[in-house]
Amino acid sequence: MSSVISEIRKDFIYNLLLKGERVDGRTFDQYRDISIERDVIRKAEGSALVKLGSSQVLVGIKMQPGEPFQDTPNRGVIITNAELVPLASPNFEPGPPNEVGIELARVVDRGVRESKAVDLEALCIVPGKQVWIIFIDVHILDDCGNILDAASLGAIAALLSTKVPASRFGLGEDYMLPLNDIPVATTAIEFGDVLMFDPGVDEESIANTKLTVITTAKGEICGMQKSGKGLLKPEQIYRIVDIACEKAREIREKFLEA
Amino acid sequence: MDKSDISFFKDGLRLDGRRADQLRPIRIEVGVLARADGSCYIEMGGNKVIAAVYGPREVHPRHLQEVTRAIVRYRYNMASFSVEERKRPGPDRRSYELSKVSREALEPVIMTSYFPRSVIDVFVEVLQADAGTRTAGINAAAVALADAGIPMKSMISSCAAGKVADTIVLDPMKEEDNFGQADLPIAMTPGGDITLMQMDGGLSPDEFHQAVEMAMKGARDIYEMQRAALVEKYGKIEASTIEVNACE
Amino acid sequence: MDRKVVVPGDLLSEDAKRSGDGTYIKDKCVYSLLYGLANYRDKINVIPLAGKYIPAPGDNVIGTVKDITFSNWIVDINSPYDGLLHISEFPTRIDSEEMSKHLRIGSSIMTKVKDVDPTMKVELTLNDRKLGKIMTGQVIEISHTRVPRLIGKGGSMISMLKKEVNCNIFVGQNGRIWINGGAEDTDLALKTIHLIEKEAHTNGLTDRIVAFLKSEKGARS
Repeated sequence: MSSVISEIRKDFIYNLLLKGERVDGRTFDQYRDISIERDVIRKAEGSALVKLGSSQVLVGIKMQPGEPFQDTPNRGVIITNAELVPLASPNFEPGPPNEVGIELARVVDRGVRESKAVDLEALCIVPGKQVWIIFIDVHILDDCGNILDAASLGAIAALLSTKVPASRFGLGEDYMLPLNDIPVATTAIEFGDVLMFDPGVDEESIANTKLTVITTAKGEICGMQKSGKGLLKPEQIYRIVDIACEKAREIREKFLEA
Repeated sequence: MDKSDISFFKDGLRLDGRRADQLRPIRIEVGVLARADGSCYIEMGGNKVIAAVYGPREVHPRHLQEVTRAIVRYRYNMASFSVEERKRPGPDRRSYELSKVSREALEPVIMTSYFPRSVIDVFVEVLQADAGTRTAGINAAAVALADAGIPMKSMISSCAAGKVADTIVLDPMKEEDNFGQADLPIAMTPGGDITLMQMDGGLSPDEFHQAVEMAMKGARDIYEMQRAALVEKYGKIEASTIEVNACE
Repeated sequence: MDRKVVVPGDLLSEDAKRSGDGTYIKDKCVYSLLYGLANYRDKINVIPLAGKYIPAPGDNVIGTVKDITFSNWIVDINSPYDGLLHISEFPTRIDSEEMSKHLRIGSSIMTKVKDVDPTMKVELTLNDRKLGKIMTGQVIEISHTRVPRLIGKGGSMISMLKKEVNCNIFVGQNGRIWINGGAEDTDLALKTIHLIEKEAHTNGLTDRIVAFLKSEKGARS
């Protein structure tokens, strides 16, 4: 259902870029305004509504006891799912998640998993028999660009507010989910040799390539994803990574460490 | 829990302190989404529901097109985390049925003949459920349709009545819905024409009569709130205009 | 002028003769069909705050080619209905094989609605001197419901604007506007159009726009 973007619009955005300008007046590495509201869904163990500019993403965390995977009998389980519901964009269609939605969920999952933010061993209840299962459900409400960064932010913010519902399952008192790290994903697009962070919809629609870099609180890289059919030169990647670390640190300090 | 364990009334008031004929607190916000053509967020008690309207727009797949009018599609969907026990994502038999009756609750007032060969899509996402999600969804959807500039003969407002402890109550909450004796959601025009009518449980003809009257009264009050929210959004546009003028 | 915010179903008058745009008659009374601003004159018209552009014959619109068939360009005109530009409506005679040489997917055109049939098949034409392919400048989008104010009574607003900002401007009824001029002039035109869009429903708009242009230009020189 996506409509063609006119050449004249493309040219306009491109010409701005050549002058170092963006459609909404931001600098190339500037994020839109971010707001995070936690504990918005009472029925969830943790939740966060993230606004990144006009993009809106709601993430809910549910937990329940279940069986561990056979090869990791002492570890809890994380299951991440994303719904790109048709309410959020004229380009989303009803139906089971498509490859875009699945990619998004997997990259969000990667950040949480690879940063070891959640201590999975602490989620073991009875070794080999019963562990906590954490469901991270990402609900996109308004896609005005860069929903991946918003979803990743939402996931970690929701986890930070998650209370393990032990009493509901007769497993003692509820307690806050302990976290060891705060991963932050930052995404840049490449267009005609220019890099831009936190792309809006217009910018996304003309870009060939997107690179997401997830960094930990220590400043290490714990996950990456190149998306789109364009090319990236190593120098461009190094540059994105440098800026990504810096941006992630700013976002982490300002919105997630309190 | 067994229903005999619950006492639904204390000193003549309900578990949440309401009178039998009282609505839960309602908050309505218009135009909350940037991408949608029209949108509305509603809180009805513990329900948090958001509705978006897209269209009229091209129909895909094309064979669904009707030559003389727009088709209306309504998708009711619950977020996985909206309920106590995590819901598997995606539609189930319940959401198909609710989508159908909700669509039919709105269709009678939508001027579909103005837009042949097109579709008006209504998407309703339940973010938190607390009994009465279908009525909250219809209320939000009607406002979102108006916000999208869709021509309609009137607004539609929706409310349920129920029976607990042999008493007819308005707008049942979760406990009353789960352990009550009857549930009766309706939707209607402000003029009192009914567009949604469902009922489950047990009611005598007299009780039924009383329940319908009560639900209609609730829907009328909700209509006033829908209207106020729309007028208020317009007021915000006016206010921002005045600010701009003051800056000059 | 008496104006009021109304929602669908609001009773506007008990005199059926006063039914105007955006209203309907039931039991000899006039009701609103739309959420918008009711304008009480002889007739009562309701001006919507939102809604999709529905093409009508004679409308100037700006479109983007989204597909090419054997003899038609299929043109997105910011509406639920695509426009069809038949090869014979191109200003010069061309062959079917050459169609994409002249207008390709992604090309924008200033065009006119030639005809709309009851099933909403929309035919476009380029047969007019002021119509054609857009090669330079910028196209912006506003809500089509604001276009009448941008044009003004008898074209007063738009001709004033063109003169004051020294730009070529083509206003599509579908809310797409082409602006071509120097960078500074274009900027001013954009600002002014957005101001008109924002304040479209207020009284005394023309005076405020004139004052705005004056102060902006004063600041420049």
